[in-house]
Amino acid sequence: MIRKFIYSQKTAPYVFVLPFVLVFLVFWIYPLGNSVGMSFQKMTLGQGAQWIGFDNYVKLMGDGVFLKAVTNSFVYMVLTLVILIPFPMLFAVLINNKLMWGREFFKSAFFLPALTSVVVAGTIFRLMFGEMEGSLINSFLSLFGIEPIKFLKGQVTGFIALLALATWRWTGVNMLYFLSGLKNIPEEYYEAASMDGASAFQKFTRITVPLLKPTTLYVVTISIYAGLAMFIESLMLWNGNNSPKNIGLTIVGYLYRQGIEKNEMGYAAAVGIVLLVVALAINLTQLAFTGMFKKED
Amino acid sequence: MRKEISIRIVLFAFFAVLCALVLVPFYAIALGSFKPGKELVRNGLNLSFDLSVMSFDNFVFLFTGNHAYFLWFFNSFLLTIVQVALTLLVSAFVAYGFAAYEFKGKNVLFICVLLIMMVPFEILLLPLYKLTFDLGLMNTFSAIVLPGVANASTIFFFRQYLRGIPNEIITAGRVDGASEYGIYFRLVMPVMKPAFAAMAILNGMHSWNNLLWPFMVLSDSNKYTLPIGLKTLLTPYGNNYDLLIVGSFFSILPIFLLFVGFQKYFIDGMTAGAVKG
Amino acid sequence: MKSKRFMVLAVLSMTLMLWGCGKSSSPSGGETSVLDGGAGENATELSYWTFVELHGKHFETMLQKWNEANPDRQIKLNVTVMPYDDMHNKLSIAVQTGQGAPDIADIEVGKFPDFLKGTPQLETLNDVVEPYKDTIVKSRLDLYSKDGQIYGLPTHVGATVAFYNTEILDQAGVDYTKIKTWEDYKKAGIQVYEKTGKYLGTADTSAVWQSAMMLSQQRKDFTDDAGNPVVNSPELIKGLGILKDLQESNVVSTIAGGQPDTEEAYGEFNNGNYASAMMPLWMMSRFTNYMPDLAGKIAIAPTPVIEEGMPRSYGGGGTGTVVTKTAKDIKLAKDFLAFAKLSLDANIQIWNTLGFDPVNMDVWEMKDVTHNPENQFVKYFKNNPFDVLNEIKDEIQLIKSTPASPTINNVLCTTTLNEIFEDGKDITEALNEAQKQIEQQLK
Repeated sequence: MIRKFIYSQKTAPYVFVLPFVLVFLVFWIYPLGNSVGMSFQKMTLGQGAQWIGFDNYVKLMGDGVFLKAVTNSFVYMVLTLVILIPFPMLFAVLINNKLMWGREFFKSAFFLPALTSVVVAGTIFRLMFGEMEGSLINSFLSLFGIEPIKFLKGQVTGFIALLALATWRWTGVNMLYFLSGLKNIPEEYYEAASMDGASAFQKFTRITVPLLKPTTLYVVTISIYAGLAMFIESLMLWNGNNSPKNIGLTIVGYLYRQGIEKNEMGYAAAVGIVLLVVALAINLTQLAFTGMFKKED
Repeated sequence: MRKEISIRIVLFAFFAVLCALVLVPFYAIALGSFKPGKELVRNGLNLSFDLSVMSFDNFVFLFTGNHAYFLWFFNSFLLTIVQVALTLLVSAFVAYGFAAYEFKGKNVLFICVLLIMMVPFEILLLPLYKLTFDLGLMNTFSAIVLPGVANASTIFFFRQYLRGIPNEIITAGRVDGASEYGIYFRLVMPVMKPAFAAMAILNGMHSWNNLLWPFMVLSDSNKYTLPIGLKTLLTPYGNNYDLLIVGSFFSILPIFLLFVGFQKYFIDGMTAGAVKG
Repeated sequence: MKSKRFMVLAVLSMTLMLWGCGKSSSPSGGETSVLDGGAGENATELSYWTFVELHGKHFETMLQKWNEANPDRQIKLNVTVMPYDDMHNKLSIAVQTGQGAPDIADIEVGKFPDFLKGTPQLETLNDVVEPYKDTIVKSRLDLYSKDGQIYGLPTHVGATVAFYNTEILDQAGVDYTKIKTWEDYKKAGIQVYEKTGKYLGTADTSAVWQSAMMLSQQRKDFTDDAGNPVVNSPELIKGLGILKDLQESNVVSTIAGGQPDTEEAYGEFNNGNYASAMMPLWMMSRFTNYMPDLAGKIAIAPTPVIEEGMPRSYGGGGTGTVVTKTAKDIKLAKDFLAFAKLSLDANIQIWNTLGFDPVNMDVWEMKDVTHNPENQFVKYFKNNPFDVLNEIKDEIQLIKSTPASPTINNVLCTTTLNEIFEDGKDITEALNEAQKQIEQQLK
């Protein structure tokens, strides 16, 4: 009887999606609800908790360090979008060109950075951007007569190092996403355009970019996510969660500092909820603008 | 003809320069693995090829020294394989449900999938930590694998891919009297190979390099994965660069091989998959 | 059918395997070694967590001696070494939940206040300290105490001294023994810079050693008597002002890494770019481990002061070892701990192997130990650290460790000191802002 039930065409779909529902409920909804609840309490792990209403949120608004973290994460996210969408797209188009030699080699080479552990990558970049004159970047700069720069101590220079790390790591990956997207664009379109006398630039802007829209959307969505939630790269670059003047502190970094280092779970939960709201807001806005909701089933 | 060749040359030169730039850090790691850690402390990381300080010592240490590197490597290896296998199996299973059927609540549920994709996992860090603690799963590999086993982006990807599979396969299967699950396992899954390959790479990459969550959950150093292990070499009481650099060099190998092996499928799979919007 | 069943079975067994090889029997982690130190059958097993391997080695040595001297109360020690942050985080959870905590553990002074919050879940140690009270440097016991109850036993004094690179000083024609005040230091520094182009010292931005030094000289602290932060005190403004003036005269400069105890700074010192460091005595082991080129060149002396007559030192850094309330045999653990950290024997060991200035002052009188020519530290440094220690023994101040201390340290070390020495911000303004931020964080 039960067998028949499970095997019926009507219930089958529910069986198929069951694992997701379970995981979603247990490991997503429940912790999320918990998090919301925790954000209204003052609590530490293993000890009692106290309901304090909106106190945590009020404290967050006045917390200079938190606001710095938010600014950092935001700026980082925007900058990664600016660098890691147009350039990989361009590279994908170039590398896809029929006249490209060694395409496979370059694809692998560019993808390699993404395969390295963040620990390794962050440490290497930390050493490369070190403030001594012997460090890689500074010794390169000295060739141009530029004095050694204390990269990891200044806001702007620190971000240069951080973005260098991000660019190095993710250009290859994004490029591959765009390459896949390019494969979906039929050759005929380009041939037709050529026959109409379109220039390379026109082909790019009128055919490539619009037809890459689904890919672009996908990459933008995951980049917003990755940018706002960045933590480990900063952790490794500054070898800890305490960058000078908090120039490298991100929202998640602050969450970690409050929740795990200081054991202020309630306050940290509030930080998490703020991040959730911000991420959702940005993504939903973005999707609404690009008509995703209309197109989706 | 001449125009073609000059374009080829320009393209190649452009990418060659970029490639050189990208490979600089790797060259630095490679060089660094031949230098003693103290060298790095004294002179910083650079590209100097100084034979007087270079040797195979670090490599010897890696293979014969008293440290846990290969334990970490093994843990990562095991965890990655199990995690990828489980995640792919479960996610594809779920994705089929979305792709092949119409049912009540499907849209709502799928929006939930999208929701997860849009929201940083990190916001769940703390409550998940507490939940893991309460469930008694602290310090287990299950705590690492289970939350991600029905992976949202993977489900999304498979579902998109499955939409491209002709319905005839399914209807034919029903006509032949196969059960719903039989259809899935015997008729549909084999067709998903490129998708599996693509997701194997992405998930494998993520699992191999996963640091934050395992770091929070694992306390037994016998269970440390490679990223955690390497991180423990950086301590406030002195960094063990000898092992760190040469260990990092080695950690790139397996994933690189995986990628090289499955690269073709990655592109093919990605093509037919998620990027169809 | 078969393949499907197999699939399900495979998934199930994989999950089970994960679950199974998951649950760990050892709730701690890190490298665990069981030391029996010659213990017999009836030995009690005690567990000890630390984040410094050398501390573990020290306990191993003391374990042997204990078991020999106490055949009826022998101990087997489970030593677990974990990375710094990790160990403290796990210890914190374990102690608060009362589950999985070790019997004995190291807690670094910076993290100590977190463990004293509310009702400390640690045993008081006053009774086992009693017999040693007169020979132990009192301020080091106060450091790990609350309301008159001692919760942790110190590892060393950490007396702050000046380390001078005599090679550079000789080149500039400077005699370090003549440097008594910051005025003398300034004159010497200007000479050093003119003659050699090197800086005499550092302007620290990522550690508060110098700030604490300036405060303790004026007999003040980062906190008031009640433990409230008061970083914008006139004394600290004055002290940092002196350093700023030195920076502007090219006597001191910021250093890679932000303070002398970082790997970048070791490199700078080793290359002879800075001629002095104002650090606690435990800096000695950094010299021997990381700055081999300076062997035989470094002299130790009391730090310069603002005015002659002011106390010339304070205890910096440190690790307090504690006994948790959930310890298996509390009396045994406490007795062993006192033996391993306060006894004469232990302190001789702490000097010989760890190169720390021991808290048991009787050792300072033992010339054969302190001036042992085979000791690697005696060999490395130009003069003997204990000669200096004995000179300043009554002047070692206490910089309190309070619940506000971690926040104070964090704000000063990440933001304020950088603003002052890197960005040239006005000292009073920077300290006022720091005070505000610290108060906000502690609300």
